[in-house]
Amino acid sequence: MTTVLDLHSHSEASEDSRAPLEAYLNWLRLRRTERPVDGIVLTEHRQFNKDADYRALEDKFGTLVLKASEVETDYGHMLVFGVTDEMTRRFDFADVHLPAQEVIDEIARMGGVVIPCHPGRPNVGLFEHYSKKSPLQNIAAVEVYNGGSRKGEDERSQQLAERFGYREIGGSDSHLVSLIGLCATRFEGDVRNIEDLVAALKGDSYQAVDFRPRRRPVQRAVAVEVK
Amino acid sequence: MVDYDPNLIGRVFEVTDPVPVTAEMVAEFCQATGESGPLYVDQEAAKRGPYGTVVAPPSFAVTFRNGRQFFEHIPRFGRQGFDAGKDVEFVAPIRPGDTITLSSHVKEIYEKTGRSGSMVFVVVRSTLKNQNDETVAHVDHRFMNRP
Repeated sequence: MTTVLDLHSHSEASEDSRAPLEAYLNWLRLRRTERPVDGIVLTEHRQFNKDADYRALEDKFGTLVLKASEVETDYGHMLVFGVTDEMTRRFDFADVHLPAQEVIDEIARMGGVVIPCHPGRPNVGLFEHYSKKSPLQNIAAVEVYNGGSRKGEDERSQQLAERFGYREIGGSDSHLVSLIGLCATRFEGDVRNIEDLVAALKGDSYQAVDFRPRRRPVQRAVAVEVK
Repeated sequence: MVDYDPNLIGRVFEVTDPVPVTAEMVAEFCQATGESGPLYVDQEAAKRGPYGTVVAPPSFAVTFRNGRQFFEHIPRFGRQGFDAGKDVEFVAPIRPGDTITLSSHVKEIYEKTGRSGSMVFVVVRSTLKNQNDETVAHVDHRFMNRP
């Protein structure tokens, strides 16, 4: 038994996304073969919507929907799983200069998990910050497959994970309906709720998976003789 | 965090004079945008439609944002910026013969970071009302500033 979750997505609750949750779930239902995802995690930017209740949509589409957050720190963007009231009281999630090490340690103490996302991305990724500052402690994993990555960014993320021995997750970072589920994380065992997910992320039985279609190589032009 | 006067949020900073909407303006807008929907361009067909007359296409609402100095008074941060998009909420159709008044306020100011660095966004909400004081649309203009 495995569970495949897209751990990084943004619905229209994020200011830079126009994707309704229902459209995400419908898209996944239609593309189950190419993107065999059992659930998604909404990681809205700089916020946590405690009161949002997605059970009716979960039931309608048979897809798990969990809630987390993407915060911005002095080492780049990070996903926070297992958000509680204590965490949102302790940190202002809207602050784009949160102290990364403090966030990682405090969230862990409060029972959650923090995972740097798109670490190979300029300016907002861990890789670039490690070239200027000392490495962070107590990193559980990093996101090595990100559906929004440009050329070279995922490769840098993988280099970083390998160099520091970080475990690896994947997420689509979808802001558009058609991109949901392109990258994900496969867990050994059943993940049914946020508590299961946090426990699984604290373990080591998971791996990043990439469902993006391979680009076909550009055909080399062949000279032909014109008669 | 970005430093600004929180009293800016919600404060109306600009109200325009009423702008008359003519049938020619609607027709020119349809021509310019390639709009061919009969409710917007065909008087006879529109008579049989839900409004009983030609109305402006919904996107016509965004044409009211300008006046050369329309956004003169919005807060700006840093050295440069650009128009980062619009969200339009359509409430009621705009008809030829209407006069539209815009009232604008700062809806939101927030900061974020991305590949290219730090950004401060200012969201200005313009509310469009007709001569009967009915709201016809809300237009949220999003401006990005580089701090």
